[in-house]
Amino acid sequence: MTSTVAINKKKLSKRITAVVVTILLWAFAAFWFAPIFWMLSTSLKSTAVAVIQTPPEWIPENPTLENYKIIFAPSGGLSLIRATLNSVIVAVGSTLATLALSIPAAYALSRLRFRGRMLVFWIYVAVLAFPGVLFLVPHFFIIQGMGLTNSYLALILPGLGGTFGVFLFRQYMLDIPGELEDAAWIDGCSKFRFLISIVIPYVKPAMLVLGLMTFLGSWNSFLWPLLILSKSDKFTLPIALIRFSAGWGDPYRGIGPMMAGAFFSVAPSLIIFVVFHRYLMKGISLGSLGKE
Amino acid sequence: MRQSQSKSHRRFHREVGSWLFLLPHLFFFVLFVAIPLVFGMVISFFNWSLLSDNVFVGASNYVRTWNDSRFWPVVQNTVIFAIVSVPLTIIVAILFAHILNKKRFGQLWLLIAFVSPAFFGSVGILSSWKWIFASFPSGLANYYLNKTGFINGAVSWFGSTGVAWGVIILVTIWWIVGFSILLYMGALQRIPPEQYESAKLDGAGPWKRFLYITLPWIRSVLFFDVVRQVILAFGLFDQAYILSVGGPAGTTRTMVYYLYLVGFERQDFGRAASISWFIFAIVLIFAVIQLVLVTKSIRSTEG
Repeated sequence: MTSTVAINKKKLSKRITAVVVTILLWAFAAFWFAPIFWMLSTSLKSTAVAVIQTPPEWIPENPTLENYKIIFAPSGGLSLIRATLNSVIVAVGSTLATLALSIPAAYALSRLRFRGRMLVFWIYVAVLAFPGVLFLVPHFFIIQGMGLTNSYLALILPGLGGTFGVFLFRQYMLDIPGELEDAAWIDGCSKFRFLISIVIPYVKPAMLVLGLMTFLGSWNSFLWPLLILSKSDKFTLPIALIRFSAGWGDPYRGIGPMMAGAFFSVAPSLIIFVVFHRYLMKGISLGSLGKE
Repeated sequence: MRQSQSKSHRRFHREVGSWLFLLPHLFFFVLFVAIPLVFGMVISFFNWSLLSDNVFVGASNYVRTWNDSRFWPVVQNTVIFAIVSVPLTIIVAILFAHILNKKRFGQLWLLIAFVSPAFFGSVGILSSWKWIFASFPSGLANYYLNKTGFINGAVSWFGSTGVAWGVIILVTIWWIVGFSILLYMGALQRIPPEQYESAKLDGAGPWKRFLYITLPWIRSVLFFDVVRQVILAFGLFDQAYILSVGGPAGTTRTMVYYLYLVGFERQDFGRAASISWFIFAIVLIFAVIQLVLVTKSIRSTEG
């Protein structure tokens, strides 16, 4: 009798510790995520209030959408709506093109046999270790030479030579059972039909992961658009935001609209993460580990 | 004779068919990866500009960069940043990965808080951090740190070199650690739990269990992450450009920032290209050193 009480007590104290630890973690997570809360909170205050207010008001007493109205009203040829549209076009274009190019290439490098296959594969892996900064100057002149400065293609094309997607898809495709392939050959299935009807359904999860990562990479891209875009009608969202903040002079005089713009640019990434985090986790660990 | 000819003919056809799948990607690879590497090398040997004719100048861009009194401080900045931020990020990531791998109530909230920032764009989150580290007394960091007595009076966070770097490192870890957390979470899940149990029975404490079980198991991911982070650290640009604008007096400029200034502000593209190859060499040296260190530390625990 007494022993069961002791065990229950032990169990109870263990559970209490677990609950306390969880609550502490939540609190720490709130602290960690505070910059995003602060961004949202500031975006709902008028700048005059936000800059001088102490103590800081995390939940605005008089919330206002004034800042969001300001950023979506075109000013000085800059329009955030236009910039958002540009960002979406470039991100979707990059994503679709990357998938369309990487999948057949990965198929060739994983399932087909031909001379030079391994050489290409190892070159593709080796360039993954080259820092992107090596490409800035030559890309600038190649894009300029093609007459593509200030175009959507200037933002889409340079990324299409990237080999990470091919590498990731290859990892998935190596998993396709050989028997499936043999059966398909016997049925007289062509390589192209095998790719469409067997391989692509098989790599759907990888398509989602690479698609999301390409989309977010393009959506967030900063240095390259900064270099290659000079006309405001092609600005992507991050470039438009930076130019906006420059137009306000002292950045804190425009902090309300700036935080509205910042939150507006972060929100899609946040939503994508919440919806797809499981796939992102799986895809990222597979991309780094390969098969073990 | 005839048969073998038709056989090789068939083989030729089959191979051409296979190449066709690779070709579209290979085209873009050659155009935007292979050619730029060669082209970048060529540019670095020229006095290359937008307006005047390009003149071959031999290795003089490299010599000028080597003797440039503003280049080496920038290298030093970036190297120190890498030495501090890469190990810190990895340690924080492994710690969080351990915590997040235990299923808890509200798991999604923890993932959002610790991991999702890695998927956010630089301009958005950095402008928020810049606002938090505003120099006046009502800036969030100044206000709370004064309240808790850590500082006295308003600190101009980007007004002195050491403090500015501290903020850049802090913000960088906060921003990018999420991706590494995901890597280590995946790696940790592959460790068979029996290994820990038998180690526990043998009386191995948490530190020993980490050294002798966890570390060897996550080795390949650790390698991958080290290389990835070294490349990332030496590519540091957005944080310095947006947070501190390279200041005070250029002391938070990084190698890529310097390349940007030389190439795209002063339009001396030949020299910018030579700087990019210096960066490549430094990254290579660094990645090798880090890999050797990591390998050695793992070997010593295994042997």
